[in-house]
Amino acid sequence: MKIKRLLIANRGEIAVRIISTAREMKIETVVVRNANEPDAMYVSLADIVFDNTEDPEEIPVFLNIGRLIEIAIETKCDAVHPGYGFLAENAYFAQKCIENKIIFIGPSPDAIYKMGNKTIARELAMKQGIPMATGSRGNIGNEEEAAAAAELIGYPVIIKAASGGGGRGMRIVRKPEELEKMFLIASKEAEKAFNDPSVFIEKYIENPKHIEFQILGDTKGNIVHLGERECSIQRKHQKLLEEAPSSALDDNLRELMGSMAVRMARAVGYYSAGTVEFLLDSDRNFYFMEMNTRIQVEHPVTEMITGIDLIEQQIRVASGEALAFRQKDVRIKGWSIECRINAEDVQAGFAPDPGKIEKLVLPSDPYVRTDTGVRAGSAIVSSYDSMIAKLIITGTDRKDAIRKCKLALDKVWIKGVKTTLPFFRMLVRNPVFIDGTFTTAFIEKQLDKYYLNSEYEEMLAAWLATRLFVDENLRRDSISIDYENGKEMSPWLLNKRINQF
Amino acid sequence: MNDEKPEIKKLYALSSENRRFTFSLPLKNTIRIGKRSYAVTLKSDEKFGTYILLKNRKYPVEVVRSRQNRYEILFNDISYTFTIETPFSLKRLKVLRSYSGKAESEVIKAPMPGKIIDVLVREGAAVLRGEPLLILEAMKMQNEIQSPVNGHITRVMAKSGTNVMKDDVLIEIKVG
Repeated sequence: MKIKRLLIANRGEIAVRIISTAREMKIETVVVRNANEPDAMYVSLADIVFDNTEDPEEIPVFLNIGRLIEIAIETKCDAVHPGYGFLAENAYFAQKCIENKIIFIGPSPDAIYKMGNKTIARELAMKQGIPMATGSRGNIGNEEEAAAAAELIGYPVIIKAASGGGGRGMRIVRKPEELEKMFLIASKEAEKAFNDPSVFIEKYIENPKHIEFQILGDTKGNIVHLGERECSIQRKHQKLLEEAPSSALDDNLRELMGSMAVRMARAVGYYSAGTVEFLLDSDRNFYFMEMNTRIQVEHPVTEMITGIDLIEQQIRVASGEALAFRQKDVRIKGWSIECRINAEDVQAGFAPDPGKIEKLVLPSDPYVRTDTGVRAGSAIVSSYDSMIAKLIITGTDRKDAIRKCKLALDKVWIKGVKTTLPFFRMLVRNPVFIDGTFTTAFIEKQLDKYYLNSEYEEMLAAWLATRLFVDENLRRDSISIDYENGKEMSPWLLNKRINQF
Repeated sequence: MNDEKPEIKKLYALSSENRRFTFSLPLKNTIRIGKRSYAVTLKSDEKFGTYILLKNRKYPVEVVRSRQNRYEILFNDISYTFTIETPFSLKRLKVLRSYSGKAESEVIKAPMPGKIIDVLVREGAAVLRGEPLLILEAMKMQNEIQSPVNGHITRVMAKSGTNVMKDDVLIEIKVG
């Protein structure tokens, strides 16, 4: 069935991203305007806006299944795209859409459920003969069980939420005496984040690389992989930079891991876009970690090197079309890197720094694609994630991509919030990053400084402070300004001073 | 700049990490990098906001906070805090520091608004640099606040389960 009108059950850059493909496919888009960010960019780009700002929102609307279904029916949508996060991996939401004769753009509720439950996913992987880290049999009920399982597996171990993902509810335990506390923290975190306190324990793979395979399947049983992405640049299990392909894989390993990823997808009759995540150790052993049953934040790097629009494929598959290509037709060309420019303070351990984006200038060079959901004047609100933009840089090979990345990073101009830019400016000059040997422990273990600044930059900052001091204190006609009234000096004040210099 | 008061010949910008930058008065709008001097211009426009122009490159700048002689400057997305000292105040500062000995205190403040999930240390406890002090939940993340120094906990203001505002004092550590 051809989709004519699509409800985007999401916000931010992914809502903007889905709108752009839908527009090319001549599909009308509906978005939900909410009180947290009524003037968000995505709201201004959609064909139809459902105004939910008057709703008291006891549950945030993007998590409110009943409300979203109502909105889809009221706005006469024939399909829903969940984006990532929120309800994207909620089997019940997918089921509810189907029951209400609305196409859910994603895999079957059954596939979402099985892959979403890490215990079931592990069992499935084991049956399929896919390599995995040794782990507990099923879920862990209490501290004693946790201790026994960890003893059997051998330290270090990692405690994971059975319904988890995105790094929440995960704790690494190196010593038996830390286990009880970490078990309780992980369990509490899991309950809070996923409404399910169950956790399981796995052998912790030391210093692995994070390698994931993009999967695409249709409802006729065709499944292909679109190569890998490497996402080892992480902090607190949150990805910061992703690239495709990975310098750690050769064609043989790519084919082997890719075929395992396809096998995993086939085991649950997978269709739509999905991602099979693996850990790769220094001896090139790989271990199945989990399958994400949604479009990923980092999907653009795969799009750039394969030329395939993943959102378009998701929509086509959801409309019942068969994939127009097979594995042998998939060609990887070039190298693509995505930098997540977030409103975070790298000098304070990547703490979120919400606020209003005063100025925003993004590069427009042909080698850069920027996916963003904000513009100058938008706010990064604390109710949502801290993403400002994804900077996607594509080159002929890795070296070329890194070179272009360096150039692009200096062309991004953001004022109003602190960002991860200084981190990336440092990263693209780091020898370990450049030679590609980094692992997921890189940020926490191998970096002593999370940002780039040169001595003369500090000197310039010192000069500015001195300039202001001189102006305020040592001039006969010095004007006194009350800075305490605002976080930032308003430009006109500074302008006034500029004229005095 | 001949309207500046004549008795002070130099100013020092002291960074929070105790680096010292010396500027002669009257303050010139140039900066020395290596052997050469470059013109520094402070500008502002609608598209970019305030910026410093040096060697044809724009650097974003912002004055985040200023109080008396203390300035927090955001330069190219990195913040720096300086106190501006005159030769006299610098001398006085050195004398004061030599009296107070080495027992400096480190104050741990909330880096963002959020909720304290767990406090992992008690008053009197010895902590090492990098050791987790407490867990603060904000923006869907549990953030481990770690000790920036080796020392002893002198005060614990943070309470598990309570909400805190940005810059609320959570813990005090005596360094050393």
